[in-house]
Amino acid sequence: METDWLLLFEVSLAGLGTGGLYALTALAFVVIYKATRVVNLAIGEILMLGAYAFFGLAAGWALPWWAAALGALAVAGLFGAVVERTVIRPMLGESPISVFMVTVGLGSVLIGIVEIVWTADPHRLPEFMPNAPVFIGEAFLAPKIAYSFLVAAVVIAVFVLLFRFWRGGVALRATANDQAAAYSMGINVPGVFSLAWVVACMVAAGAGILVGAIGGISSTMGVFGLSVLVVVIVGGLDSVPGALVGGLLIGLVEALAGIYLGGEYKLLATFTLLIAVLMVRPYGLFGTHEIERL
Amino acid sequence: MLRLSRRGLGALALAAGMAAAVPAKAADDIVLGGSIPMTGVFAFAGIGIQAGISDYLKIVNDAGGVKGRKVRFAFEDTAYKVDASVAVFNKIVAQDKPNLYYGDSTAFSKTINPELERSGQMIMAGASFATELNDPKKYPLQFMAGPDYTEMFGILLRYIAKEKPGAKVAFVNSDTEFGRDPIATSEKKAVELGLKVVEKIVTPPGSVDVSTEVLKLRRSAPDYTIFHGYVMAPIPEFIAQAKQMGMTSKFMGTFWSMDNSMVQKMGELADGFMGVMPYRYYYDEDGNAPMLAKIRQMRPEYQSTPYMQGFLTAMLMVEAAKRTLDKGEPLTGKTLKAALNSIKDFDTGGIIGVPISVPGNSIPVGRIYKADVQKKLMVPASDWIKLEQ
Repeated sequence: METDWLLLFEVSLAGLGTGGLYALTALAFVVIYKATRVVNLAIGEILMLGAYAFFGLAAGWALPWWAAALGALAVAGLFGAVVERTVIRPMLGESPISVFMVTVGLGSVLIGIVEIVWTADPHRLPEFMPNAPVFIGEAFLAPKIAYSFLVAAVVIAVFVLLFRFWRGGVALRATANDQAAAYSMGINVPGVFSLAWVVACMVAAGAGILVGAIGGISSTMGVFGLSVLVVVIVGGLDSVPGALVGGLLIGLVEALAGIYLGGEYKLLATFTLLIAVLMVRPYGLFGTHEIERL
Repeated sequence: MLRLSRRGLGALALAAGMAAAVPAKAADDIVLGGSIPMTGVFAFAGIGIQAGISDYLKIVNDAGGVKGRKVRFAFEDTAYKVDASVAVFNKIVAQDKPNLYYGDSTAFSKTINPELERSGQMIMAGASFATELNDPKKYPLQFMAGPDYTEMFGILLRYIAKEKPGAKVAFVNSDTEFGRDPIATSEKKAVELGLKVVEKIVTPPGSVDVSTEVLKLRRSAPDYTIFHGYVMAPIPEFIAQAKQMGMTSKFMGTFWSMDNSMVQKMGELADGFMGVMPYRYYYDEDGNAPMLAKIRQMRPEYQSTPYMQGFLTAMLMVEAAKRTLDKGEPLTGKTLKAALNSIKDFDTGGIIGVPISVPGNSIPVGRIYKADVQKKLMVPASDWIKLEQ
């Protein structure tokens, strides 16, 4: 068979586009893990919450899309703050598996809330992205994927800068490195925990709006978090660059597997990659060499 | 296995405990039991099905029941999970001794079949139109109130062959039992009808982004693309991207993606979306359909296509019970199924536009409907199509 280079290029672009969304959600996961050592399995459901909050504000209250998006981010941020303060912080010092289970429960609660408020019917988000196809050279790129990728890239870039230069970001990194030392240097560690949850939930909600714009929303869209779990394990649980590279890599592998092997092999390819990475680097591609056995 | 049986035991124990608390019911009630997905991924369907069954039974009971016996609907939520469906089944069987049963999924229908045959007390239908279940030898006590998935494809393909002989067709299905069901059999059928199946695309369950799949679809340039195994997502995004790329394919769906409220949620994208539907839509005022008028009278607001499915299933079940009792036979799985199979040229009151017969496990009748975006309605695009059995 002759290689169709244009197809390969288009598929790669599409894969990287989806990968951007993976990376963005993975970032939310990593921020929480890095700061608080909590493996937050509810990240997919928080993403769903963000998408539904956007839906409620944009479709229900008929706000313009940008106001709805800001509102959804605010709702998610508030949710993060409340959850951290009332559910996660009392668990401090408990075994990691307990906290892990709490987040699993949190996910179920969120699904329940969404089904009560919005029913389990699938919905479409109002269209807010430009509709004209994007061409890179001759290659077609679906506009929603292209714009989502751009948004994800900008958000991630802002984060990298914040981590590097902003006081809060530096405090977060310091806390991640050594909590006791951070305390003794006068860093408000509980404050950092709160900040991490607020920020991560907002990022997840943002990702939710983008994911929902592409695939529609339903109470089961939290399964997106499962792919993201693979991304963070491949990239390294506590590594921001890992989330980026992992996200793009998984997006690309899924797309290529989908087109050359068939859709039924997408997950197989992803999980094969996961196993391969874990065998070579059990802490992920960029993760800290510290293994927590659960 | 252990887990299942333990749950079963738990359900039995619970049922025994509750038996004392349940208010006395007439001993000769005919019971229609149900494992119904009122929550979870299939809640959209379950809620409609529950309403449809309840309404039909209300009509029957208001008219005096079946030979003076009331028909009672005993159901519980399953969240569309097989183990929950089995637990509900065990509980309702122990508590209410149903002669008719509505199951919520292909997996449940297959899982419970040996138990159904062992007890021999009831016939079962449900939300599944799986091709596999349409086999009276393997599933002697089950049926479906419409065409099976392969027959749905058959109806679509026959329409395509007539509209555009030799057309290029692509199949897009979800990687689930539901999604895979008719693909292999329908490919053969397409060839028989002189159509070319140029692409078969499988999407993983819950996949969000379908842009790679659309790229693949564009290369094969089909005239018609048939989706199967979805309620809504990812069909809208698929169509959106395909149109952006300038594809001219027509898009089609099968029963579960054909509800009017779902299709119209696609907005402009729904324009021209077609599919196979065995029942008339709620708002359809053409033709002679007294039953639809009755439904509109009972419920002034739009009712979904799963509602119609539940309604018709209850109608066929009650008809089978009536015919059995008319013959003076006891209500068992065998007598009920025989009575069901005696249904010939039966008038559904317009729910299906032509008289129907149930010689086996399915009713291979349907019609092509097309979305009219201006009217926000699905409108007929063909006459009723009956496949030979």
